[in-house]
Amino acid sequence: MPGPAVVLRGVGKRYRREAGGYRLRTLKSALLEGSLTSGLGAADAVEALEDVSFEVAAGEAVGVIGGNGSGKSTLIKLVAGLLRPTAGELAVNGRVAALIELGAGFHPEISGRENIFINGALLGLSRRRIEERYDDIVEFAGLADFIEEPIKNYSSGMYVRLGFSVAIHTDPEILLVDEVLAVGDEEFVHRCITRIEEHLAGGGTLLFVSHSMGLVEELCDRAVWLDQGRTRSIGAPRRVIDAYLEDVAKREGEAHDRRRALDVQQEQESQPEEEEEAAVTAPAAEEEILRWGSGQARIVGARLLAGNSSEERYHVHCGEAVAFELQVEPREDLDDFVFGVGVKTPRGVDCWGTNTDLAGYEPRLLRGPVRVRLVCPELRLAPGEYTVDLAVHARDGRAYDYRRRALRFTVAESSALRSIGLYLPDHEWQVEALRGGSADGAAKPPAAIDWLVPRDPRRME
Amino acid sequence: MIEVARCLVRYRGLVWTLVLRELRARYRGSVLGFLWSLINPLLLLAVYSFVFSQILPRDVVSAEPYGVFLVTGLFPWIWVSTSLLEGCSSLTGNSALIRKAVFPVEVLPAVAVVANLVHFLLALPIVAVALILSRLLGYPIAGWTFVLLPVVLLIEVVMVAGLVFALSAVNVHFKDVRDLLGNVLVLAFFMAPIIYTLSDIPPGLAQVVQLNPFTSFTVAIQDLLFFGRLPVTGDWLVMAAIAAASWALGAGLFSRLSDTLAEAV
Repeated sequence: MPGPAVVLRGVGKRYRREAGGYRLRTLKSALLEGSLTSGLGAADAVEALEDVSFEVAAGEAVGVIGGNGSGKSTLIKLVAGLLRPTAGELAVNGRVAALIELGAGFHPEISGRENIFINGALLGLSRRRIEERYDDIVEFAGLADFIEEPIKNYSSGMYVRLGFSVAIHTDPEILLVDEVLAVGDEEFVHRCITRIEEHLAGGGTLLFVSHSMGLVEELCDRAVWLDQGRTRSIGAPRRVIDAYLEDVAKREGEAHDRRRALDVQQEQESQPEEEEEAAVTAPAAEEEILRWGSGQARIVGARLLAGNSSEERYHVHCGEAVAFELQVEPREDLDDFVFGVGVKTPRGVDCWGTNTDLAGYEPRLLRGPVRVRLVCPELRLAPGEYTVDLAVHARDGRAYDYRRRALRFTVAESSALRSIGLYLPDHEWQVEALRGGSADGAAKPPAAIDWLVPRDPRRME
Repeated sequence: MIEVARCLVRYRGLVWTLVLRELRARYRGSVLGFLWSLINPLLLLAVYSFVFSQILPRDVVSAEPYGVFLVTGLFPWIWVSTSLLEGCSSLTGNSALIRKAVFPVEVLPAVAVVANLVHFLLALPIVAVALILSRLLGYPIAGWTFVLLPVVLLIEVVMVAGLVFALSAVNVHFKDVRDLLGNVLVLAFFMAPIIYTLSDIPPGLAQVVQLNPFTSFTVAIQDLLFFGRLPVTGDWLVMAAIAAASWALGAGLFSRLSDTLAEAV
């Protein structure tokens, strides 16, 4: 039975406010007590973390989620040893690699090759070890052609790839990842995730900070939800993520209601006769409201299923069979209800939408929780990113529960089927001669294949 | 104090890697590259020689040939002053690194000192050529005493490193240190017998100049290289005492502050 890799007991972290200008006092307390904040009162300090307690077992993957400023990065930095807790106990057993800011030690004027050695040395690798790993590092970063260039000429993606590659090749026992995957391109992110999965499969430990709920669920055994420096919930990722998303939606919904109440009030005060019109147009005009509705029925779960085995997925291929699944719980018996699904691009362009009313279904009775599936044997969307709105509403459009961007998925790029736009029907190109090539008409027109030849014969089949 | 020294010994590989990074990066993109380590001090020397032999009355300083005398004092001073200036901002200038990567912070001030020492050592051939030429021209200067130069440099490295540790750590809290330091160094330069010898100035003033901690090192190097004589035992003791005090102050201050550096920087 291996011991825990990371133990936090009542860990707290205070930062001093710099605006106060207590330079002499902070220098004094740093000198005498080894702390920047001991001499400060509540008004001069900020509590970034308070009373955080949990353990990460060796070989376990734990995700940390929460809004901006919830203390996620502070937590990672404490575990990495960059910061010291101001309260509680923190124990870390094992060699740590922190993927926090990648390539922090890179020098822009010198080559990628030299930077690999310097960054490796900073991360604690001996020169011999870096030499052994050098080829792997370059190959993983995909920078073989540019490795002799000074890295000031690198793109930001190349920079991050090199930083990630060096850090991941330090053979850590405990891997700390703070939102670094947000920068790379899709292919590199996949490679990183594969690498993290290998790390886990080899018995490594992971502490993972991300705003990508899908990744946290995919990679982690448990999730920790931090809210304003305190732990709100710890447990199975699905449960913690749901609780978090629900909380976010609730807060946004309340903000939306408040704004709307204010709008309506103002409309009534200024132009009482146009009140109805204002109320109807309100939802579309607002920004970033993710959920609204009367709550008579609620969508409590949503998944995208794909492939023959109907597994839950975030990536699908063009032409693959998919199903959009909703779990709906009515608060009361309903005889007027419509289920709807709308697929959009991240910028909000409608790609495809339908509902049970448009499709010609009559509602009879909705009693107790149900699972609803919209099944498409062939989803012919072009490669790209999509979001899905899900809704349960009355036939006149009154929402019981409308969840904007309830699901997010990507359609994978495929080299064989490239196109632009959103829709990718089955297609092929044909060319036909209109008139014979010679004057007497005896010569037969050449076959179309002579004019337009497939580069890769498989592509046309 | 001991921990800081031990840490530097343990991470000497990292110090050396970072020194090479500094050296490589400094002249990247310039046509003359490494030659600048030679040209820079030579140009500065030319300026000083011109000013103090042509513009100001030249019979003030007794040492002959003056240019060669100047070299033996000026080159070590350039090393000391650039080490102090660069070392002072070695923590604040690398704040991104200190905040984001886990590594011993002690190496950064040390890198500033060592990188500039390497520049000084690269410029030593100029000093050697100047001394040999002077001997060939018949000046009664220099001698085998130069073999003791590494000993003086070793003691001076300890002193400079101690000061750099202190300055860099305090500079994290008060960025004013760096600006103040620039002016203090100008004063220290003129208050050390670099452009003159101690015997050229009134005895009362010479006593004041000897209070400057850099004076004994400057005189010792000039003795070994230019005058070809050995510093007396008292000089060695004074240098050792200054170095020990500087290291105790700097390393002590640094290790007290090192826990909070990543946050304060």
